[in-house]
Amino acid sequence: MAFEIPKVTYTGKIREVTLGKGPKAVTVGGETSYPFHLFEGAMPHPPRIAMEVYDTPPEEWPEAALEPFKDVAKDPVAWAKKCVQSYGAELIALQLVSTDPNGLNRSSDEAAQTAKKVASAVDVPVIVWGSGNADKDADVLRKVAETCDGMNLVIGPVVEGNYKQVGAGAIAYKHTAIASTPIDINLAKQLNILLGNLGVPDGQIIVDPTTGGLGYGIEYTYSVMERDRMAALTQQDERLQFPILCNMAKEIWKTKEAKTKTEDAPTLGDAKKRGILLEAVTAVVLLLAGADVLVMRHPEAIKLVREMIADFTAK
Amino acid sequence: MPKHNVVFLPSERKISVDEEENLLQAAMEAGIHINASCGGSATCGKCKVKIVKGAVDSPKHPKLTQWEYDQGFRLACLTPIRDDIDVEIPIESQVDRSVLALKGDREAHKYLLSPQDIYQLVKGWDVDPAVFKRYVELEPPSLKNNASDLTRLINALDRQHGIEGISADFRVIMKLSRILRESDWKVTATLVLTKKGYKLVNVEPGDNTHQNYSIVLDIGTTTIFGQLLDLNGCVVYACPGGLCDGSTLFALAEASDYNAQISYGEDVITRIVYSQRPGGLKKLQEVVVSTINKIIQELLQMSKIDRSLISHLVIAGNTTMTQLLLRLDPKYIREAPYVPTANFIPPVRAVHLGINIGDHVHVYIFPMVASYVGGDIVAGILGSGVFQRETLTLYMDIGTNGEIVLGNKDWLASVSCSAGPAFEGAGVKFGMRATRGAIEEVSINPRTYEPMILTIGRTKPIGICGSGLIDSVAEFLEAGMIDQNGKFRRDLSTDRVRMGPDGYEYVLARKEETLIHEDIVLTEIDIENLIRTKAAIYAGCKVLLSSVGLDFKDLEQVIIAGGFGRHLDLEKAIFIGLLPEIDIEKFIFVGNGSLLGARLLSFSKNLLKETERIALMMTNLELSNHPTFMGEFIGAMFLPHTDVSAFPKVMERLYRMKREVQSERTVEGQL
Repeated sequence: MAFEIPKVTYTGKIREVTLGKGPKAVTVGGETSYPFHLFEGAMPHPPRIAMEVYDTPPEEWPEAALEPFKDVAKDPVAWAKKCVQSYGAELIALQLVSTDPNGLNRSSDEAAQTAKKVASAVDVPVIVWGSGNADKDADVLRKVAETCDGMNLVIGPVVEGNYKQVGAGAIAYKHTAIASTPIDINLAKQLNILLGNLGVPDGQIIVDPTTGGLGYGIEYTYSVMERDRMAALTQQDERLQFPILCNMAKEIWKTKEAKTKTEDAPTLGDAKKRGILLEAVTAVVLLLAGADVLVMRHPEAIKLVREMIADFTAK
Repeated sequence: MPKHNVVFLPSERKISVDEEENLLQAAMEAGIHINASCGGSATCGKCKVKIVKGAVDSPKHPKLTQWEYDQGFRLACLTPIRDDIDVEIPIESQVDRSVLALKGDREAHKYLLSPQDIYQLVKGWDVDPAVFKRYVELEPPSLKNNASDLTRLINALDRQHGIEGISADFRVIMKLSRILRESDWKVTATLVLTKKGYKLVNVEPGDNTHQNYSIVLDIGTTTIFGQLLDLNGCVVYACPGGLCDGSTLFALAEASDYNAQISYGEDVITRIVYSQRPGGLKKLQEVVVSTINKIIQELLQMSKIDRSLISHLVIAGNTTMTQLLLRLDPKYIREAPYVPTANFIPPVRAVHLGINIGDHVHVYIFPMVASYVGGDIVAGILGSGVFQRETLTLYMDIGTNGEIVLGNKDWLASVSCSAGPAFEGAGVKFGMRATRGAIEEVSINPRTYEPMILTIGRTKPIGICGSGLIDSVAEFLEAGMIDQNGKFRRDLSTDRVRMGPDGYEYVLARKEETLIHEDIVLTEIDIENLIRTKAAIYAGCKVLLSSVGLDFKDLEQVIIAGGFGRHLDLEKAIFIGLLPEIDIEKFIFVGNGSLLGARLLSFSKNLLKETERIALMMTNLELSNHPTFMGEFIGAMFLPHTDVSAFPKVMERLYRMKREVQSERTVEGQL
């Protein structure tokens, strides 16, 4: 008798969520098996990579990360265009770090205008990520939602402390909400239920489980994502059947391993190569755990991961 | 007792109640909402109903005009039911019929549980107190019979009552000669059965055998409860003139107070930490005794019984509380591997602990199992009869520490989880113990958000107790006023939900309707505390069950103990996810389980051995380092639960309620 690979029986399916609009809109989700288990089920939409754009010139980035964007670092619109035109970005992730009340504390109106300019300048879907301060984000993201009415943005992080305000904006102006919770499957599910109760349509929710970089607790993220997919696909847990987004780049490039210069630690090898590999390996780990959208930074890391996805999904 | 049928119109919902039941209370039990904001104290005048059939003789009230009175309008809270009646609910209180239909059919099942007592729960025990009195008449000494006074007494007890092997307490000997002679050789001896035989602990002049009392105490982390027992009658002493009709309280000699140790920390851990400070242990011991003395004082005042007639004290407490009471350093309870000083404590003389009671009185302390499973839970298992039955039972003691026991007569397993004192009214802004003036039952109109509240003693409200909290949160959730995370919706068309100093809150009673001249509110923080408490308990049960390979559906009986009120509304406790969604016939409520066991032991010395057997047979499971507890806890921090598949009926009702109320709102919007 010929050997047969044991197969998992799935009973659930990840919802399909379409990000952006027009010909460059991307649809993610739709999986009926664990990531890349193409012998067991389908993965109709490959995972996508969003390229980061900052709304203010980055100050603490290592040389290797900043180098490709030096010419556009002061102008988010030019930065976004460069990502699409030079590096073929499929999505843009605008990081509104300047709105942080403990930093530059820029106003919500200003941030909304930046978001609108960036989103108008490119034809790919745009993710708009707030400062992570729940109270400020409530205001910033609501403004962004309103100002960019009809642009089908992906806005977040939507957390328990501000889901009502941001969620209402997502409903009224038709954006996708990024439901963000601190590495816990129950909290993730609770927020998805709350967004549903509020009236956010299921087709407008994507989940951020919170991620660390490689060597910085990524195993926690991995196992939460893994459990998330097990519940969604094998236990028919409807409120977990959403695509997953990982805002990972900022976690990699702030680590000591990515920032240490070559001359300060010659035994660790070339700093540029090191940073790129750290980012690429983190990305692969998250893809294997079930990520549908990755927010990445370095063009070369992105190139590596794209090749990997192509290999994994090759028929 | 005669029963009467009450029909509420226009919904035609029927309920059968005992004669003299209050009409407002009957409506609450039937799940019929009638606006009432003064707790049933006949001051707000909102519970106006029309009696359309049958006779009532409730008094006229200034809030009713003569015309209304003549038309048959009455205040429900002033109306005792003495006939079959049909009652029309006023339009402002009415809830849409389709919405009402979603509420549980209160006729078919008994949702509102009142505590059951040892007489129903425990079988085959004799009334035979460990401490008892015997009357003897002695022959006065003569030159022919010149045996000592003590020998004379001991011989008489043997001859007249067949009690052998008596040893005497020195204190008795000290006063013996005087009492024997003053009482003309007719005395009452108090004896206590110990492991070493009978001990003579007191001698009183004359025949005092009909007056034999004991006091039982439950020393909780947050609350201390006490009862005074009549050992001859085998009952909790009934206070002279006390009635148990829902409006007169204090029918029985029961008292409770917050443990004065609370000022030194809200949970056992902070108390243990405090005990390590110089003089800390002594201080904690003194303050808990001060609370005990206050309770004893109150019990004696209520019952008008003389202090000297109390012959026995039985105390049940968790391990830390017991050690603090005995001034045993609790340090090692908190440090791994978590070991208590002793599980079995020999009888201690009460006066040695500073307890203000006759110096002959000994204290029996319930044996303990582990550092976080104490004598209170052993007492609960005893009093609820779990140790006698084959039935697979889950026993939940919902206190500051949630203690949960699973098993039957052959095996027992326990866990303990830090639940918090919300159900005892602590950590809740207007929380209070279940005493007079506490809001104990709440219903909320899902259309107008107006409340119907009933207080203990039917007075104007002072605060809210555990059962009122459970009701409120369940009603908020059902009416769609809070989301499943316990946060108020901000867009409700009522001024009862408002922004207060501590965030969003709901006004249960406005200041003109309360006894404290302050608005009584429930805040989002209160709800958060309640959710945390119920989550710890539910998660504890879940982990305990799964660690022995069982599930909620395998349970044959669930016994609930806890000081949250006089009743427990099962439907609402399930609705918020405090209790699992299983067949409601399986639930039993026992009120304060520890007192129950303490009472039983005080009545029947044969159960001493059973008590020790329970303590020895219980296996404790440590939750602090359990791999799945934290996950279960976070999962339960939601209303009713993150795993909605565990609460299908609740979810079904939530969805339908949402649809009904929404469609109603849409219709109103179009009008």
